[in-house]
Amino acid sequence: MIFGYNVEKIRQDFPMLSKPIIYFDNACMSLKPMQVISKINEYYKEYTACAGRSAHRLASRVEEEIDKSRNEVKSLINARHSSEIVFTRNTTEGINLAANSIGLNNGDEIVISDKEHNSNLIPWLKLRKNGIKVVVAESNKDNTFNLENFRKSFTSKTKLVSIVFTSNLDGATNPVKEIARISHQNGALIMVDAAQSAPSMEIDARKLDVDFMAFSGHKMLGPTGTGVLYGKKELLENMEQFIVGGETVADSTYNNYKMEEAPMKFEAGLQDYSGIIGLGEACRYLKKIGLRNISEHEKKLNKAITESLIREEKISIIGPAEHEKRAGIFSFNIDGVDPHNAAKILDASKNIMTRSGAHCVHSWFNKHNLKGSVRASLYLYNTEEEAKIFVDEIKKIIKMEV
Amino acid sequence: MVLCILALPIFAVLGIFSLKYRKLTLEALDCLFKTATLRKCRSSLDDRTKAAMAGKALKFSPKAAGLVYRNYKIISWLLLIIFLWSAYEGSLGAYNYYKYGNCNGPSDTGLCLLDPTGSNSKISAIDIDTQTNIVYPFAEKDDPIIGSESAKLTIIEFGCYACPYTKKAEPIIKEVLEHYQGKVNLQFKTFYIPSHHMSYKSALAADCANEQGKYKEFHNLVFQWQDNISDDTINRIADNTGLDTKKFNDCIAKERYKSEVDADTLMGVHAGVSGTPTFFINKQKIVGPKPFRTFKSIIDEELKK
Repeated sequence: MIFGYNVEKIRQDFPMLSKPIIYFDNACMSLKPMQVISKINEYYKEYTACAGRSAHRLASRVEEEIDKSRNEVKSLINARHSSEIVFTRNTTEGINLAANSIGLNNGDEIVISDKEHNSNLIPWLKLRKNGIKVVVAESNKDNTFNLENFRKSFTSKTKLVSIVFTSNLDGATNPVKEIARISHQNGALIMVDAAQSAPSMEIDARKLDVDFMAFSGHKMLGPTGTGVLYGKKELLENMEQFIVGGETVADSTYNNYKMEEAPMKFEAGLQDYSGIIGLGEACRYLKKIGLRNISEHEKKLNKAITESLIREEKISIIGPAEHEKRAGIFSFNIDGVDPHNAAKILDASKNIMTRSGAHCVHSWFNKHNLKGSVRASLYLYNTEEEAKIFVDEIKKIIKMEV
Repeated sequence: MVLCILALPIFAVLGIFSLKYRKLTLEALDCLFKTATLRKCRSSLDDRTKAAMAGKALKFSPKAAGLVYRNYKIISWLLLIIFLWSAYEGSLGAYNYYKYGNCNGPSDTGLCLLDPTGSNSKISAIDIDTQTNIVYPFAEKDDPIIGSESAKLTIIEFGCYACPYTKKAEPIIKEVLEHYQGKVNLQFKTFYIPSHHMSYKSALAADCANEQGKYKEFHNLVFQWQDNISDDTINRIADNTGLDTKKFNDCIAKERYKSEVDADTLMGVHAGVSGTPTFFINKQKIVGPKPFRTFKSIIDEELKK
């Protein structure tokens, strides 16, 4: 038992959990606690206004709340400055921002892994038309990160490494600290897709020494349409703008304009204030529960599921067999059952919500000639009883003998 | 694909009210079109439904779920056959209702969902065995005719003066005779319904009125006074129609036309009549106070012959 961790008390904060559902699709979207919902509503009920533009007291309040949120995110990932936190719509936008602003040139090379989400693959593939080469470092057979292959991927032209932190495909967490060290040794910057890590892992951006890190609010109890791009201050300051317009410039004439400083220069147009404020509240909530506790809780549930199903002949687990290497993700296939059908059966029989398909990692599934998988992703509010029901239902599906 | 055929009309109707079903309709339509043009249907509607059904069955037992999952194609074909059969029966019912006022045709008095109160098919019935050897009724020269004597077609009506449904059919028959003036006439044959008060006596009275040449007037007035029919009412009708009441009452008292009344009822029984009103247009039978369109459909067919 994790000391002081009361899952039943946590569940009371989540209105969605009053429904008769077992929500195991957290890697796609987390549920929202009442604290976050109330905080979002607070903006609309009490201080709806523009930040950074108007001088009245409501605008000042919004500005103040946005600053608080930025500080919450900064503290969550232990960034050095709050100006290193750029608010985006999601991880995808954060990576696109970096891809288009870092200043990659013809002939430069980028290293990625073979398990990247489309959001950390397509933005780089798109740059190939500018003469940029994308190098894919292959994983080990058990889908864990292969440092040797990674080392071999570098050339003198490698300018950037963009790697997933915890894979949404199988939950395997990559050794980002080591990857960052090797990248820097080779003179490359490192960008991390932390969409699956930020919600349930203690992340110390300074200790990891990553240059950029993107994650989404909606997977970490925050509102949809919110995300973060972390970037080292000196890098952000020297980067080109991505989307430009209102709030990204300090001044303009008909012929020229003066760029704002980071992070403002990257936050074009009117922002999703209620969302950003809600995201700040989500960070507060996560810190209160404790990310280490959440991580331990997920692992405990994954252990229960893995140990109950790993010996089933018809079950094949995607990723490493050891549950401790797969965080809160149990991605699998049942022999003879289409993954979409399996997910639909779970929904229809016991209201269990799982994800099925390629999980936006089509490249990996294509390479392995698989249609997809069923993915159960666990989070802080899931219970051992839910894990048991899930296991029982999977065993029943196996007994269907299809 | 099978499910797409099945789903298309259902979703199309539901789609009028809901965007969700509109999307499913388009999906089913696309699948049907692709199949018809010998291309692969990529809709996962079949799979989704299969899994949802198996999931529901899994609540009871894995074996049941497996059975549904493995035999889904057979199940969907069976559903399609049932659906097509129901659609055919439903359409036939709607066609019959439109044409004959009853889902099962002009001679049926059973339940029709399009006429839930059964207003087109109610009859005053007698308890009688179904006739196997039908002898179709015919117009008799010594019985009175309503409408043109020289008409090509005669409707034979088996009715009862005390029957509310025979009364209900009266304005419809009048409309028919007016519409087909000169082409169609009517011979009303009294069909005795024992459970109806004055059924027999009013039948005798009509024949007695005919004796004095006042049949049509008497016939019309009896229906007008039907709700209060009694000996006294019949006398008042006789008065109003200018009958010689002494002769009229004597005729009734002596049951002078008993054999005619009995013969009419017997003719009805031989023709398979089990209640009033029942109409015959040649060999076509209409049971109950069916709407004008029912008579029109059959008369038009018979006049063409």
